[in-house]
Amino acid sequence: MISGYFVHLLIIISIYLILALSLQLSVGFTGLLNLGHIAFYAIGAYASALLAKAGMPFWLCILAAGLLPMVFAYVLSLATSKLKGDYFALATLGFSFVIYSLALNWTNVTNGPLGLPQIPKPQILGIDFSSNINFLFLAITLAIVTYLVINMITISPFGKTLEAIRDDELAAKTLGKNTSMSKSVSLVISSFFAGVAGSLFAYYLTYIDPSSFAFGNLIPIVVITVVGGLASLPGTIFATIIIVLLPEPLRFLGLPSSLIGPGRQALYAIFLLLILLFKPKGFYGKVDLE
Amino acid sequence: MFSQLLINGIIAGAIYALIASGFSLIYSTNRFVHFAHGTVSIFGGYLLYWFYSLLGLDFWLAALFSVASTALIGYLLNKIVYSSLRKRKSSPSILLIASVGIMILIEALMLFLFGADVKTIGLIPVSKGLMLFGAFITPLQVAIVATSAILFIALYLLMNKTKVGKAMRAVSDNKDVAEIVGISAEKIYSWSFIFGSAIAGVAGILISLEQNLEPTMGTALMVKGFAGAIIGGVGSVPGAIVGSLFLGLAENFGIWYLPSGYKDAIAFLVLFIFLLFKPNGIFNSGKRVNG
Repeated sequence: MISGYFVHLLIIISIYLILALSLQLSVGFTGLLNLGHIAFYAIGAYASALLAKAGMPFWLCILAAGLLPMVFAYVLSLATSKLKGDYFALATLGFSFVIYSLALNWTNVTNGPLGLPQIPKPQILGIDFSSNINFLFLAITLAIVTYLVINMITISPFGKTLEAIRDDELAAKTLGKNTSMSKSVSLVISSFFAGVAGSLFAYYLTYIDPSSFAFGNLIPIVVITVVGGLASLPGTIFATIIIVLLPEPLRFLGLPSSLIGPGRQALYAIFLLLILLFKPKGFYGKVDLE
Repeated sequence: MFSQLLINGIIAGAIYALIASGFSLIYSTNRFVHFAHGTVSIFGGYLLYWFYSLLGLDFWLAALFSVASTALIGYLLNKIVYSSLRKRKSSPSILLIASVGIMILIEALMLFLFGADVKTIGLIPVSKGLMLFGAFITPLQVAIVATSAILFIALYLLMNKTKVGKAMRAVSDNKDVAEIVGISAEKIYSWSFIFGSAIAGVAGILISLEQNLEPTMGTALMVKGFAGAIIGGVGSVPGAIVGSLFLGLAENFGIWYLPSGYKDAIAFLVLFIFLLFKPNGIFNSGKRVNG
């Protein structure tokens, strides 16, 4: 029983980690305050769930879950290429609302508020991932791959270009860097991993509905990037673990279940504000968000 | 049908305009997105529910208390959170993230205090409504439009005729110059939060009378206020009014073609189109914040 709960927490940590690392690429490294990350997660989850329900194999579903958000991210980055700071944040937030209302209202495809039940558990090369232990290995592997890829990007010359854009876009431009293209690529890559996380989420719960993709669900991920410190990958891992575990004691306080959700949100919010007020660069952060 | 949608659009637009003008007031002086603005407004609606429906106070007294409370909340948020962040020279993006945190906190507070189920105030029994140019409009809706109009005139007078209003405009034009001539920017930030949040409180009261209350309504409301302010041109109160009316009309005429569930999506689409093609808004105030 205890170990089952532990495995569940580790799976959630892995999924959050993929989301947070990829958000770190656009927010921390490129300086794009991307509030539309949850929409990419949603697109990935729905794409994967629909394909899996149609009997497609796991690798195809998770690949599609990564690729489809990239298309949206590219279009979104073109549309927002001239926007900065607050305006970019609000435009991407608007995008996430549009995707959410599509999930809610496009009932022919998404089944609306009732959601998509009975998503089959994944099978790879004949190995069944329906047990949580096996699924945990899958989730951790993907989280590690995400870490390695994001880390590779951030230490590459391209990663340095992204950081230059974050610190001073005009200067980066003057040095001959194609800044709008780099920002696009950064957003597109980060959307790929968000989609993969969405696919894992859909496979793990075997049921998705729009409520998992409302804007509020992005809050813990944003809190992770701030608490861990912008542009710090080790910080992100550390913060993900803290943020997932932080509200867990609420379960054992005997609160009525209707209060656990708001309790968790309140805890995240207070934690976020305390960090911003007293440790503005997070635990491992090096940079401030412009 | 046409005139009904027109009237619905104007009523929705009047409420958005209240949010937008309060938001615009805060945004143009403080230069960051106060994300919790919509949630503060909804909290005002809940306070009315508490004072009027639960405690049984006289309606006008309850409304007065609610507006005073939202103004106080705005003042305290600025004093406790934003002011300390500003002292550390935090960027507008950090202030935005902090305001998202505040929004979530207030939302959670409302859930704790009042629960997740929808609340109705039920001050005015649902009346049949008047016929006006072939459309139904209830007395409450007339009151909404009238209240908004009165507030806009008051806001206009505040901004143009009083010392505080002129100082606010000075700070939003150029903070450094304003400080050189002896205006305390910190004081002006406080005033902008007090006035902006009080207007949000009035909007919250009107919303609570017209619709059912839900704790999570604030986000969409805030983005609509932001959209109205952007469409009209940031920093211009008449702009915020025109932009919000435009948004209300676009939403209501949009559901002529699309299912009504897409109402919110239409608003964001309009915002998007303006951000792309006319980021300075209809009334170009030349005050784009942050590039």
